[in-house]
Amino acid sequence: MGGSEERVVAVIMVGGPTKGTRFRPLSLNTPKPLFPLAGQPMVNHPISACKRIPNLAQIYLIGFYEEREFALFVSSISNELRVPVRYLKEDKPHGSAGGLYNFRDQIMEESPSHIFLLNCDVCCSFPLAEMLEAHISYRGMGTILVIEVSPESANQFGELVADPVTNELLHYTEKPETFVSDRINCGVYIFTPDIFTAIQGVSSQRKDRATLRRVSSFEALQPANRSLPSDFVRLDQDILSPLAGKKQFYVYETTDYWEQIKTPGMSLKCSGLYLAQFRRTSPDLLASGDGTKNAAISGNVYIHPSAKVHPTAKIGPNASISANARIGAGVRLVHCIILDDVEIKENAVVIHAIVGWKSSIGRWSRVQASGDHNTKLGVTILGESVTVEDEVVVINSIVLPNKTMNVSVQEEIIL
Amino acid sequence: MKALILVGGFGTRLRPLTLSVPKPLVDFANKPMILHQIEALKAIGVTEVVLAINYQPEVMLNFLKDFEAKLEIKITCSQETEPLGTAGPLALARDKLIDESGDPFFVLNSDVISEYPLKEMIEFHKSHGGEASIMVTKVDEPSKYGVVVTEESTGKVERFVEKPKLFVGNKINAGIYLLNPSVLDRIQLRPTSIEKEIFPKIAAEGKLYAMVLPGFWMDIGQPKDYITGLRLYLDSLRKKASPKLATGTNIIGNVLVDESAKIGEGCLIGPDVAIGPGCVVESGVRLSCCTVMRGVRIKKHACISSSIIGWHSTVGQWARVENMTILGEDVHVCDEIYSNGGVVLPHKEIKSSILKPEIVM
Repeated sequence: MGGSEERVVAVIMVGGPTKGTRFRPLSLNTPKPLFPLAGQPMVNHPISACKRIPNLAQIYLIGFYEEREFALFVSSISNELRVPVRYLKEDKPHGSAGGLYNFRDQIMEESPSHIFLLNCDVCCSFPLAEMLEAHISYRGMGTILVIEVSPESANQFGELVADPVTNELLHYTEKPETFVSDRINCGVYIFTPDIFTAIQGVSSQRKDRATLRRVSSFEALQPANRSLPSDFVRLDQDILSPLAGKKQFYVYETTDYWEQIKTPGMSLKCSGLYLAQFRRTSPDLLASGDGTKNAAISGNVYIHPSAKVHPTAKIGPNASISANARIGAGVRLVHCIILDDVEIKENAVVIHAIVGWKSSIGRWSRVQASGDHNTKLGVTILGESVTVEDEVVVINSIVLPNKTMNVSVQEEIIL
Repeated sequence: MKALILVGGFGTRLRPLTLSVPKPLVDFANKPMILHQIEALKAIGVTEVVLAINYQPEVMLNFLKDFEAKLEIKITCSQETEPLGTAGPLALARDKLIDESGDPFFVLNSDVISEYPLKEMIEFHKSHGGEASIMVTKVDEPSKYGVVVTEESTGKVERFVEKPKLFVGNKINAGIYLLNPSVLDRIQLRPTSIEKEIFPKIAAEGKLYAMVLPGFWMDIGQPKDYITGLRLYLDSLRKKASPKLATGTNIIGNVLVDESAKIGEGCLIGPDVAIGPGCVVESGVRLSCCTVMRGVRIKKHACISSSIIGWHSTVGQWARVENMTILGEDVHVCDEIYSNGGVVLPHKEIKSSILKPEIVM
C-alpha cells in the first residue's frame, strides 16, 4: 500500500561557470558537468545511477549556468533514459542546503517520500537503491553516504563519526585542522521532506539572533555585514553539524571507489574508474580489438562509434576517444581522453593527457605527463583547437585553447 | 578614403585580458585599443574602416555599432573563415577597399600604437608617386624583427631582411601602410604574407617607399610591451601639453585619470599610470607604471607597480602587486597579499601570496 505511493526525486547540484575555476582550461569552453568521462558527460553518471532507484519520479539539475547551456542536454537525456530531467537555474548563491530549499516547491510537486541530493563532481558507484533501503530502516531525516579514507587525506573533506551499531551520525565537522575521523562525507545524501523544515529552521534562527562564535581580532574589526544572509544555508556546517547526535541523521558506508572531480587531472583518473565500472557492469560499451581488423586494444577503452581508429594504432589501457576523432596509423594512446573532432597523425604518442576538442597532434609528436593526478602539471592538458606540430614534445604542461606548439616544452603553462 | 585594420586572431599573447574581450577591445590608456586607430583615421578624413577579423565577430560588431554612431564613421567587419596571413585579408576585403575614386587606402596593424602621422604619410605617398608606402621605425635591436633597407635620400625600399644576423639597418616595418588599389591585384585570396611575398615584389620594381615614423611606436600585443607602450603614449601626450593628463599634489609624472574615477587622500599616483572609468582608489595608495581598468577598486594602503589590473578587479588593503602582475577580469586580491608577477585568469580570488612569477588558473 505504502510502496506504490513512495515516489523518489533526485536532485543533482551541478555548480556554475565562475565557481570551479580549478577545472580550467577545460571549463573555458564547456561547462564542467558536461565534460565526458568514459565517453559520457560527467553528469550522466549520477543520472544513470538514479535510474536504478525504485519509483524514481523526477531528476532535477540545479546550478548557476544559463538555462540554454543545459537545454539540449536535458531534453536528449530525458528521451534517452526515459526519465524526466529538468534544469533549474539558481539566481543567487543560497548555500548547499539553501539551494535545495529554494526549489522546494518544484521538488515537492509530486509529493515524493524521499529526496536524493547528489553532487555532480563526485565519482563513485552511487549505491542509491541500497542507500534508500538503509535510510528507510533507520527512519531518520537523512542518510549520508560515507567512505573510509587515509587519515592524512581526511581533513580535505567533511569528517564524521557514526555509531557502529545503529549507524547514527554522532559528530560532523568540515575540514578540521586536527584529526577527527577517517570516515568522510561523500556528497551523496538521501532525505525525507522534513529536511525542508530543518533548513527553514536555520534561516529563521539566523534572522532572530546573532550567532555566537569566536573571531580573530582582525575579523572583529570588520563591519557587521560580514555575516551570512538568512537564506544562505550550508548543509554541512548549518544542518549536519548541529543535528549530529540527535537521532536525525544516519550513515551508509560504501567500500567502492570514491573521488572528487575538481581538476582536469582528476577527471582523467575518474574516467578510468568509470571505464573499470563499465567492464564490470556493461562490458559491451567498451572497445575490443587485436590489431588485425581493428586497432589493438589493451585494458579498458571507450571509442565513440563515429571515431575512426587506424588498425595499426594501439589504444589503452584507460583511453577514451570521443565523437569524430581520427586516430592515425601507428598511434599509441595510453591513459588519455581524446575529445571530439581531434586528429592524431601517424606514429604520435599520447600518455597521461587530455587532448581538447578539434585539436591536432602532429606526426611523431609526443604529448605526455607523469600521470600524478594530484599535481597541477601531472596530466598534460591541451585546450580546444590546439595544434602540436610534427615531432614536437609537450611534457607535463597545460596549453590554453587556440595555441600552436611548434617547439617542445616541459613543465609549462602556455597561455 | 578607406582603411583596413588587421585584427587577426585570438590575441593569445594578451591573455588573460583577451579571455574576457577580443583583443581590439582591450583598453589602452582608457580607450579600447582599436579606437585609437579609428580616431586617427577619422581625423584625416577616412570615411570607412574595414576590420579584418577571424574571431568573435558578434562581440566586435556590438561594440562597433556604438563607435559608428559616436564617431560618424562607417565600420564593417571582414571575417576570415581560415587564417589568411597578413596580406590575404586585403584580398578578402577587396570590394570594400576599392571605389571609383581610385584613392589609395590605409592598412594598419591593430597591435600597434603610435602618433599616426597619417596626413604626412599621404603627402609622402603623393610626392614619390610609387605604388605603396610603408612606415618604418628605428629600433635598438633590429635583428628581432624584419629590417627594411632603404635608399637614404628617397626612402625607396631596396629589400627586406628577416631577422638579419649581421647589421644591415635599424629600421623595421611599423605596420602602417598606404597602398594604391593596384596592390590588390597582386594579392590572391589565400594565406599570404605581405612582408615576405607582396612587398618584396613591389620593392623589386622600385615602387615601394618607406617613411621613417616620427614619434613613438610600440607593438602592444603582449603585456610587457603594453606597459612600455603606455609610458611612450603618455609621454607623447605630455609633449603635446595635453589637458587630459592629471595634475595635482598627489600626481607624479604622466598620469591619465578618467573623470568618473575617484582617488582618495594621501595617495601617490605616477609616473605612467592610467586609471579607467568608475575606478575607486582608496586613501594611501601608491600606483606607478600601471594600468587600472574600468570598475577596479584599489583598497587602502595598497601599492601597485608595473602591472595591469583587469576590469572590475579589487586589490586588497596593504596588498603589494608588482613586476608584471596581470590580473584578468573580476580578480580579487585579498588584503596584505603580495604578488610578484602573478598572471591571474578571470574570476579568481588570490588568498595567498605569489612569490615568484606564475600563472594562476
